Amino acid sequence: MNRALHAVQIDSHGRPVEAFCGHCGRPPEPSDTQPATRVCRRCGLGLVLQAPKGIAPQAGEPFLVVDSRLEVCAVSRKAEDLLGVPETRAVNRHVSEFLVSAAVESSKPHDLLTQLVTAATSEEDVHTVVVRPVDEFGVRYKARIGPCGPPRAALVVLEE
Amino acid sequence: MRTLKTSEAAALLNVSPNTLRAWERRFGYPRPQRSSGQHRLYIHGEVAALRDALQEGLSISSAVSRAREALTADTDSLLGALSSFELERADLAMEAALALRSLERSVEEVLLPTFDELANRAGVDSAPWAFAARWAVGWLRRAQRLAPAPTRNVSVLVGDATRDELDPDALAVRALELFLARAGARVLSLPVTGVSGLGDVLDVHPPTFVIIAGGHVPDDHVARWAYQARSSAGPLPVMLFRRPAPSGSVRATARALPEGPFEAHRLALGVLDEAPSQKENRFQAGARRVSAARRRVGT
Repeated sequence: MNRALHAVQIDSHGRPVEAFCGHCGRPPEPSDTQPATRVCRRCGLGLVLQAPKGIAPQAGEPFLVVDSRLEVCAVSRKAEDLLGVPETRAVNRHVSEFLVSAAVESSKPHDLLTQLVTAATSEEDVHTVVVRPVDEFGVRYKARIGPCGPPRAALVVLEE
Repeated sequence: MRTLKTSEAAALLNVSPNTLRAWERRFGYPRPQRSSGQHRLYIHGEVAALRDALQEGLSISSAVSRAREALTADTDSLLGALSSFELERADLAMEAALALRSLERSVEEVLLPTFDELANRAGVDSAPWAFAARWAVGWLRRAQRLAPAPTRNVSVLVGDATRDELDPDALAVRALELFLARAGARVLSLPVTGVSGLGDVLDVHPPTFVIIAGGHVPDDHVARWAYQARSSAGPLPVMLFRRPAPSGSVRATARALPEGPFEAHRLALGVLDEAPSQKENRFQAGARRVSAARRRVGT
């Protein structure tokens, strides 16, 4: 059993956070715990972000990063495949061009957007909503939404 | 303008050279120029803008987008200066553009788009347009005077078919002349309305090829001028810049250049850099076509 001590990164509220690449989703290499650059050394195509444990994407989970104006800021490689749009064409576009709430029976059709703004602007816990890609019917994903950064933004992890 | 080798640019961004090349493929940024040995040369300002954007970005894509926005600020700055008739500020805006780009890119990416926008806003027959266009022509001519001495054995005769310096195409024509001069060609620009004495000028300054630039002067006048030029200097290749192809026999030999002056100057010089035998054959073929056409119409 490995009993070696290791540093645990925490956020301003003392919650443990996990680091991950905004493109490949993998954690940074061990030598990158205090990186001089935010660029992922594994894939070179994403920036290293942080999110509270429990919201950060696990291996292979597709995800998007959305800012408080609800504009897409990052799309993971898996999410590019899932949504059929490369990150370079998705950034700076409104998230509702790609994802909409699938909870049609809900009395709050704007649940998704509300959760995103909340996650991107205040210290709220993780929430779960059901979403679907725009113009796709019969396909639903459970999405967990929470804060990430820096800078502060909302993370949407799609659970396939 | 300060440029960086691939290793220097990668060090500034704290990434590997391979990552930098991967960004070029995926994001088209930073976009390097090429040295004479075909090595990548990055513009320091572009790399620095990206480095700053990466500090605040959530992805490489968003950082690239932000860096590009920072660079387009020069266009806004020039437009603002010219719209408020402040020539010193306009000069400063171009200096700022030159700090981040080559002169060619500063003209293509900042100066000319600014005038497209100005034309939309004020119209090309307005006093604000005239004020701004006179400044721009002066700026381009100053830049041409500072161009190095000709290094190529190429002499370009530009037949200026624009109305005057307020013609919307005039700036692009001046830009083309500037780029040709900076590429080492000798450039002689004459209005196509001046046929008399053209031969005397061309006896002293024999051109390698002719570019007829601008669409204001009618085809008949241009044809007379081109005929006089060819009578004096022989069957020269003719290229058209910002001018629709004529319907007569000249169409067979005249080659249309791209709308952008940078691409146009590259293409024009590229044609001349072709193998001499190939070039000669093509020009002879062109001359034969003109002669045959003349015989057909009995001229």
